Amino acid sequence: MIEAVKILLIEPSYIIKEGLRSALGRFGLSFRIDEVDEVKENLVLTLEKFTPRIVFANHRALETKWAGNRSAAVFDEVLLVGMYNEKVPLFEMARYDEVLCIEENKQQIISSLQNILKKAGLLSNESETENLSEREREVLRFVALGLTNNEIAERLFISTFTVMTHRKNITRKLGIKTVSGLTVYAILNKIIESGEVNAF
Amino acid sequence: MLINEEMKMAEVIHLNHHLLHVINRFGIQLGYGEKTVKQLCAEHELPLPFFLEIVNTFHDPSYFPVDAMLRFDAALLIRYLQQTHAYYLEFRIPEIEQYITRLTTDESWDEAVKRLIRDFFHQYVFELTQHIKREEDRVYPYVLALAHYLETGQGEKELVESLMHYSIQEYENEHDDVESKLFDLKNIIIKYIPRPKDSRILNLILHELFELEDDLHNHSHIENMILVPIVERMEKEFFALTRNGRHD
Repeated sequence: MIEAVKILLIEPSYIIKEGLRSALGRFGLSFRIDEVDEVKENLVLTLEKFTPRIVFANHRALETKWAGNRSAAVFDEVLLVGMYNEKVPLFEMARYDEVLCIEENKQQIISSLQNILKKAGLLSNESETENLSEREREVLRFVALGLTNNEIAERLFISTFTVMTHRKNITRKLGIKTVSGLTVYAILNKIIESGEVNAF
Repeated sequence: MLINEEMKMAEVIHLNHHLLHVINRFGIQLGYGEKTVKQLCAEHELPLPFFLEIVNTFHDPSYFPVDAMLRFDAALLIRYLQQTHAYYLEFRIPEIEQYITRLTTDESWDEAVKRLIRDFFHQYVFELTQHIKREEDRVYPYVLALAHYLETGQGEKELVESLMHYSIQEYENEHDDVESKLFDLKNIIIKYIPRPKDSRILNLILHELFELEDDLHNHSHIENMILVPIVERMEKEFFALTRNGRHD
């Protein structure tokens, strides 16, 4: 289970909340979605309480008190998405990282959400190849054989930190997180022979 | 829509049939007739608020348990969690095991591939079993001792000792490893199995794995949303009591 991404909806309309939930559900990611109807008092406190990665906020549900001041540290970790309709003048939306027009049709909404999730680093850019690079295959081979990050770094003359970066990319590309899962992958793809590894 | 006490149990199942297993774990079996949630809970001597909190937490992922649950009987909750564990180990896993056996006896499959899947699955089952055992051997007795002490003022020394070994926050992190393995197993089957002639048996296995994953996810959600806050509340009371020197 990938750790669920926390999302906060600030929106009074039940229909819009449910609609957004269902649209987000199409991306096959794991979300934990909290809801509040409005934030009239203190946005910073609300963010500290829920610690969301992404906030979808109805512009009207925030409007009065929060004028766009983002100096508090909690804003660094949050992607703030303002939801608006045609009646809101667009310059008011400049305070948000991204905007979502709730009156758009299905295709437009899905593509806006896609951009938002990409911006939050939750979806990768399609242009990026999902095949393993030569170096990543080498690292994978050693991981599957049971070497530690330090040992791999020594063998390939790279830093441990670089090994860790390669491992993160391998996991992201393959969708496999555990060492034994990577070993199975390596055997199925003939990166190693099953005879080479005895621990499995 | 949340489950409430006036609903007929039959309606509850029509609303969300995944709740069947959860309701079974309370000892309530099928054949509900026209009985409401309230009536069946009374028949089974189950506190109604407790039943509703568990069922709703399971039913709606965005449901946030009410504060009153902090006062729930820890022993009752632990009995429920143990029933859930028994369900995994005695029912769900053996069921998947049967499909795996069917796969491994199917001649049309490559021997090496079959062995990899079987071994990986067994490794997963081993880790899940270890994890469950650790909860039952270490976490639950600690929680029960804590509850017992707060109620009766007895058993303090033993309690502090187990406290030193374990803190409930560590326990929250432990779920992750076991979950990753299940996630990997699904992806290996979906993406990386050399294309078989007939994937129906793998479809069945995958379907079971998805169901198991959902159920485990809900289970740890209940532990995190209900058990953990209750224990944190009890620990706070415990430290306050021992510091004030009461119960000495």
